[in-house]
Amino acid sequence: MGDRNGSLVQGTLDMLILKTLALEPMHGYGIAQRIEQTSHDVFHVNPGSLFPAFRRLERAGWIKPLWKASENNRRAKFYALTDRGRRQLKAETEEWSRQSAAIARILEAC
Amino acid sequence: MPQWTNLTGGFRALFRGRGSEREMDDELRQWLDAAIADKIRSGMSPAEARRSAMMEMGSVEFVKEEIRAAGWESAVEAFGRDLRFSFRVLRKSPLFTAVVVLTLALGIGANTAIFSLIDAILLRSLPVGHPEELVQISRGSLTNPLWEQLRDRQDIFSGIFAWSRDDFNLARSGMVQSARGLWVSGDFFRTLGLQPAAGRLLTVDDDRRGCAARAVLSYGYWMQRYGGADSAIGQTITLDGHPFQIIGVAPAGFFGMNVGSNFDIAVPICSSAAFDGNRSRLDAYSWWWLNAVGRRKPGVGMAAVKARLAALSPSIFAAAVPRNWDVESQKRFRKRVLLPDTAATGLSMLRRQYEQPLRILMAVVGLVLLIASANIAGLMMARAAARGREMAMRLALGASRFRLVRQLMTECCLLSLAGAALGLGFARWGNTVLVRYLSTLHNPVFLDLSLDGPILGFTTAIAILTGLLFGVAPAFSGTRALLTEAIKETHASDRGIRRRFRLWIVASQIALSMVLLVTAGLLLRSFRNLATLDLGFDPGHVLVVAVTQPLSATAPETACQEIEARLRALPGVVNAARSWNTPLGHSQWNTNIRTGVPDAPRGDDALAYFNRVSNTYFDTLRMQLLAGRNFKVSDTATSTPVAVINQALACRFFPGLNPVGRTYRAEGPARILEPPVEIIGVVKDAKYESVREDTYATVFRPISQMPEFGASTFEVRTPLPESVMAKAIRGAVAGVNPEASLEVHTLAAQVDDSMTKERVLAALAAFFGAVALLLAMIGLYGTLAYLVNQRRVEFGIRMALGAPSGAILRTVMRDVLVVLAGGMAAGIGLALGVTRLLGSLLFGLDPRDAATLALSALLLALVSLAAGYLAARRATDLDPMTALRHD
Repeated sequence: MGDRNGSLVQGTLDMLILKTLALEPMHGYGIAQRIEQTSHDVFHVNPGSLFPAFRRLERAGWIKPLWKASENNRRAKFYALTDRGRRQLKAETEEWSRQSAAIARILEAC
Repeated sequence: MPQWTNLTGGFRALFRGRGSEREMDDELRQWLDAAIADKIRSGMSPAEARRSAMMEMGSVEFVKEEIRAAGWESAVEAFGRDLRFSFRVLRKSPLFTAVVVLTLALGIGANTAIFSLIDAILLRSLPVGHPEELVQISRGSLTNPLWEQLRDRQDIFSGIFAWSRDDFNLARSGMVQSARGLWVSGDFFRTLGLQPAAGRLLTVDDDRRGCAARAVLSYGYWMQRYGGADSAIGQTITLDGHPFQIIGVAPAGFFGMNVGSNFDIAVPICSSAAFDGNRSRLDAYSWWWLNAVGRRKPGVGMAAVKARLAALSPSIFAAAVPRNWDVESQKRFRKRVLLPDTAATGLSMLRRQYEQPLRILMAVVGLVLLIASANIAGLMMARAAARGREMAMRLALGASRFRLVRQLMTECCLLSLAGAALGLGFARWGNTVLVRYLSTLHNPVFLDLSLDGPILGFTTAIAILTGLLFGVAPAFSGTRALLTEAIKETHASDRGIRRRFRLWIVASQIALSMVLLVTAGLLLRSFRNLATLDLGFDPGHVLVVAVTQPLSATAPETACQEIEARLRALPGVVNAARSWNTPLGHSQWNTNIRTGVPDAPRGDDALAYFNRVSNTYFDTLRMQLLAGRNFKVSDTATSTPVAVINQALACRFFPGLNPVGRTYRAEGPARILEPPVEIIGVVKDAKYESVREDTYATVFRPISQMPEFGASTFEVRTPLPESVMAKAIRGAVAGVNPEASLEVHTLAAQVDDSMTKERVLAALAAFFGAVALLLAMIGLYGTLAYLVNQRRVEFGIRMALGAPSGAILRTVMRDVLVVLAGGMAAGIGLALGVTRLLGSLLFGLDPRDAATLALSALLLALVSLAAGYLAARRATDLDPMTALRHD
């Protein structure tokens, strides 16, 4: 367990969570599922790293908790992106594209 | 902004406590539910799905711990938990806690006490506005004419002032009531940037020739004498018989410019005119009594001040040349240059005297703390070993070693902070006592010892440092994972490295104690050398009576003669005499003399010290007459001028000759020789000014031949104590001149005062030496007792097999001897290196004094062997059966 996400560095996980939440508020398990699905099972996120990341992002003021009824009608904790989180996501995405483009160029040059 | 949400989020979590825990539980359960549902949907059986989801989640506690660790508050919570746990653990072993806290309090208290003195005497800035701008203008004192020149010619200071300390007598007559006075120039308070606590302060207008007599009180004196009442302003106070009007009160906390003393009353310099009769110090060209300080203008550096003062010096000195000096001296006087120095920390006699002793004491108490820390480290290790099982259990339950080390370090810091808090109390008390011991008759010491940043910082820093010092090794060795062994609790584990480490600690304690014992020994012997020195007079049972008559007294000399006669006639008085100065008094009178003997010193080498005495002086002080005769009634103003000299003068000025019957001539003003004086006798050498001096060449002249200069100190030899005699003495003086005031103290006190520094240093060094020895012995005993306890099974078996108790005793004592020999050798080496620093503080003693070294070593060896033996006895007292059955 957790072997496959060994390469998922902290900043990347944060960005993936923000990106996932950009669509709609979701709860923890949903976020993990979504990341797995959209990455075609490349990233597997376990609770041990996901929940601390929620706490971190919440503290940074980028996401906020919402208590809503879940699919099976139980009180569940959802997370939603804040305005600041949206700005942060934009900045991080741009930075990421810039970097990955640069890395791609370097790799192609070889 | 993220920092802000982080901070508030953390606090919310901290204060919500349980609520936030429950949320976390809810959220994790929610995850599990979702995962299980998902897995069932993908075709697993409910039981299988549950198992799989749980496995993916792993330990719930671990996940929660990770979440907590993501916020800063978790560190606070963990610290809080550690703290609570430490409290509980320490409360469970009150004896251990008490011993450690007391030992630390002693060590930290001693360090804080000495550091407070260093802070107050050496480091602290004056409590005035921008003290760093203050500049002391000259290292030596100035005359008033010099000061006036300086004040009027300088252009680099935004303010400049002069001051001088003096004692004023508040009583109109009878017993002197001393107040500490300050002569200040007009700009004193303004330049220092001080605001009055009441009324107004002195200004430039209050300090002009012919000024009105006005006084400013210190805040402390205002409180003490007037209870802080506003009605004090406008009242009259009598200083040396002169009425002064109180105009205001200086701010609280301001003690003057001299660190180590404080003032009661400040009066303008100009008002001294009334005190001096027709020889005013305001116009005296060689009355050196003022200190001057200026405040640098903004942007003017020390170098600029120095250059400007150097440029101004010729004109300043030229305008204030002492006119009665000879041509050569005047020429040299004109060439003098004012050398400025920073005055941010004020001026201090105390600083000059005690700087080196304080540094030495700081080192001494530092070593004491080191020994104390070693002791506690030993105790902690013993405790860690005893708690081996607890630690092993906690490791087995999944606590990380880091957690346990952190927990143990928290315990240590808690202990040392408790020690520091108690130590701070010790230090306060110690400082009060110390200041009292530093005070002398004429110099009551005042120090601002209030707690300030540096002191608190210092205490906290050494508390934490010692906590780490005695905590680190035991914390790591105590948590070393020897799980199975520890849980089985066998006794075989604590030998080898750990045992040797413990013996090393004891050896180093012995080495440090050796250094402290040698230091204490040297200082004690040095003080003994001073205290048992032949002073040349007998200070026991002599009262010194200083009488002051008002300037208006009609025939002061006749009155003094009468007082002397009346004192001698008092019941219980063996003898009484009169003199200008008493031995080890605070006055000096000297001039060059010429003897006409070819080998005698010349010029400025031919300095002799003088005193004027009555005929009974030598008898009263029991100074032995070695040759010739004493003064007689027939030596009068009209007979041949005569003098008695001391041995030192005879040897230097009349080498190999009999001085009796020869003459000398003294240099008067402008180096003009006075008429020859015939030497009629030689007395044994006696100290003139200080116990430490090489006896001064001294000339005694009869008062009867120079009555115009006055001599109003009386010496009364009586077996009765001061308290009994004081009233009779006061009566005798008042009977002659009811307006005279007087001050009485014992000559012995005067002698004691001249050895204050040596006495305090020796007493403190001895005290700390004893503390160090005690601590080291507790350490030695504790360690051995512990090691014996560790080996009790082995000893039990050996005894059961028939080993005589002597053999067991020898086994243990061998350790003692090894530790002692090692520690002592290192200690002697260290001591030889270190005691050189004592050099100039030692009197009549080499820093490598063999006797002191041998005595210290002997004392240390005896006490160590005794402590070792007591511990070893525990081994032989073992009952083999009990020892073996124990496990």
